[in-house]
Amino acid sequence: MNPTENTLDQAVEEGLERLTQERITRTVNQVLEKETGARFTAYVETCMRCGLCADACSFFLSNDRDPNRMPAGKVKQTVWEMLEKKGRVSKDFLRRAVRIAHLECNVCRRCSMYCPFGIDIAYMMLLVRRIIHKLEITPLYIQDTVNSHSATLNQMWVKEDEWIDTLQWQEEDAREEFEDLRIPLDKPGADIMYSVIAPEPKFQAGLIYQAAVIMHAAGMNWTMPSRPGWDNSNMAMFTGDNEISGRIARAFYETAADLNVRRIVMGECGHAFRSVYDVGNRWDAWAMPPFEVVHALEFYHELLTQGRITITEKYGKKVTLHDPCNVSRGRGLHDMAREVVGMTCSDFVEMTPNREHNYCCGAGGGVINCGPPYKGERMVNNRVKAEQLRDTGAQVLIAPCHNCHSGLEDIVHHYELNMEVKFLGDIIYETMEKRVYTPGV
Amino acid sequence: MEEKHTWDWRTELKEIPVSEWTSRYNWVEDPCMTPDGESVAAIVNLDEMAFGICVNGELWDGEHEKAWHLVALPGNRIAAAVCRDEEWSLVVDGQAWENQFDFIWNLSATPDGKHISIAFQKDMEYGMAVDDTCWEESFENMTGMTLGDTGKTAAVVQVAPMAAADINAFAKGVFAVAQDGRFGEERFLNAWDISFDATCDNLAWAVRLDREQYSVAVNGTVWDSRFQQVWQPVFCGDAVVAPVRYQGQWRLFMNDEPFWLNGYANLWRLKPSADGRHLAAIVAQEFGRWTVAEDDQVWPVTWDTMVRDIYYSDDKDTLLAVFKDCGAWGLARNGTAWNLRCDKIFTPDMNRDGSVVAVGFENEGQFFVAVNDQVIAGPYEAMGDPVVNPEGDKVLVKGIKNGVYRRQVVTL
Repeated sequence: MNPTENTLDQAVEEGLERLTQERITRTVNQVLEKETGARFTAYVETCMRCGLCADACSFFLSNDRDPNRMPAGKVKQTVWEMLEKKGRVSKDFLRRAVRIAHLECNVCRRCSMYCPFGIDIAYMMLLVRRIIHKLEITPLYIQDTVNSHSATLNQMWVKEDEWIDTLQWQEEDAREEFEDLRIPLDKPGADIMYSVIAPEPKFQAGLIYQAAVIMHAAGMNWTMPSRPGWDNSNMAMFTGDNEISGRIARAFYETAADLNVRRIVMGECGHAFRSVYDVGNRWDAWAMPPFEVVHALEFYHELLTQGRITITEKYGKKVTLHDPCNVSRGRGLHDMAREVVGMTCSDFVEMTPNREHNYCCGAGGGVINCGPPYKGERMVNNRVKAEQLRDTGAQVLIAPCHNCHSGLEDIVHHYELNMEVKFLGDIIYETMEKRVYTPGV
Repeated sequence: MEEKHTWDWRTELKEIPVSEWTSRYNWVEDPCMTPDGESVAAIVNLDEMAFGICVNGELWDGEHEKAWHLVALPGNRIAAAVCRDEEWSLVVDGQAWENQFDFIWNLSATPDGKHISIAFQKDMEYGMAVDDTCWEESFENMTGMTLGDTGKTAAVVQVAPMAAADINAFAKGVFAVAQDGRFGEERFLNAWDISFDATCDNLAWAVRLDREQYSVAVNGTVWDSRFQQVWQPVFCGDAVVAPVRYQGQWRLFMNDEPFWLNGYANLWRLKPSADGRHLAAIVAQEFGRWTVAEDDQVWPVTWDTMVRDIYYSDDKDTLLAVFKDCGAWGLARNGTAWNLRCDKIFTPDMNRDGSVVAVGFENEGQFFVAVNDQVIAGPYEAMGDPVVNPEGDKVLVKGIKNGVYRRQVVTL
């Protein structure tokens, strides 16, 4: 079943078909009354409907300033109506709520910066997704990733032997460059547990190869786990399946604890960073992550500034940098990212707006994970991003986040921007000196 | 660990040079030491796609295209997964199993070391093997492999087909729990965290029944109670106890009924005493503050980061906790923290009554051993877990120093 203007995918439509009015009302009220607190009340009662959030939203800007796409408008069409109707909302209303919360909001939190009161509208949309989850009308493809998380603790149904075999395969290949390179598995007491998201072993194993080369060249004492818990992604965080989200975060940190590592370095993924740093850990009652979590961007900065890896010749093509929401607006790594680009690239041009004001890639927040049925409308909703990218005149677009990377690839292709999309790791691997770091040498 | 009596506690020092291995082989992987400290072993690279297992400087017979998963087991045996001609097998003390597989992993051993299990994949089907005997039936997918104390095995297996992104098939339940390869009629949306009882006659595990409802299954029969989430159930004597999220708090249920009175912000890693009369758990009494509860009585100390694990002495009078607070690891005994703070702390050991506790730890890249909060050995470049003798008057220290493996018996 392909979505149309008036219908969504099979999972949503069949789920709506099964619903009764009693279940809808009960579920909406249960979530809004039992699973919220002072924060929700404050947000609902504080919003002045001033509209200052509108120009923050790339969906609003990409759709000719359609008021239905402004952040406050999205809240009005979902949460406020649920409250006004005391949960007695219709199936058509819910279909629209699914579209708004899952397909028309990246939970990028740009709007919160423009709200005079700092209202976290992304939280409100995630609350709507929580209701959608409980009503079992979550879009199909992202629900399948959550099913995978629940059964395998990774988001892409990677089987346990496939994971280990992929690491060993990458280790063998990387030995063509460094004859004694290892991807140490389950090394107890290593300083670093390196962690990736499931698309890497599934589709992008070369990124593990590159990371292994960087770790080896930098002389790090590192390991990767063979057991489930290696995947730091968390799509359950985006569907409102908080229970599975907490289970994923627990497995991740207990894997690090069992290996007795000192810290966790993770690949270039933004949502995963938020999930382990901010969301999943808190469901488990960890106020802060129990292990230091270092995003790849921070790690590269550390290796370059400490001289553990050196750049042979800076990357020469004209590059621009996309600031991922979760590591830039969410974690404040945007200046560090520029320093890494400055140390590795010779021709850098800013996109505008940038840093914490950057537009979202349009894929994040689980939007791209809703799958191919919605790619067309995602491209329409990404128009302002495409214009921002085109204006840079850059040949290469650096995006240190997986979701951003995939979404930006789609935008570049759809809008014929003629740009290569790269990770920071791609640039570093390409420009670094391939020798093993020796202190003092 | 009764076999500790049979170990050599008289010889004060035995040494095996290990750094010289690096000159004999292209590279030497991370060493591991047997519990009794008599052997130190490592995977070594002999040539391109040629690996061996080096134990105390001697190579086991046979070269392998690949080798990984080198483990020193209870009972002082050494095992590794090895591959030749793209077939994987397990080699134990130099003897390879007869069975060969397309891949093996998840090597486990019973506490007495008598039984060894692995997970295997062969022709894209999954199963477990114990002591070189494979399950008769294999499955499309398998997770949560568990080895019971008497050598029985269980795992969560996929017993119905499911196409890519087929969320309707998933919702009907395609998973079951197989014991020694045999499974019953029950199907679950999810099944996790299998526990055996001491005799391995009974099994309990956590289940998810639909999008929102979780419970506990005991030998396939699901409790009547429904919860918001469940962590691993365990057997405590004849009873099954499980941490469950219920009415907004984590609570402990026993045999489908509320057990502990207190609710917690989190509650997990249940640990019954050996006699089953006491039960301890890691708890967060409030958000972000971690401690230990024993029989629902909470220790008077909390830590801001985590409690990694807890350990009962054999006589159940001592309860240890490895914790992390303000970025440093430490050890607490019966609710009182040692002064020791370190970058990493390993698994503690103690004598029967828990009066002597030894643990290895790392600070600034160097390894040490502490006994009852006093450093008694170190620094080392690498280390195995120390062991306290049954009488509690000696500690076995296993460390590598200046390229020499040193098995040292320290008299307290």
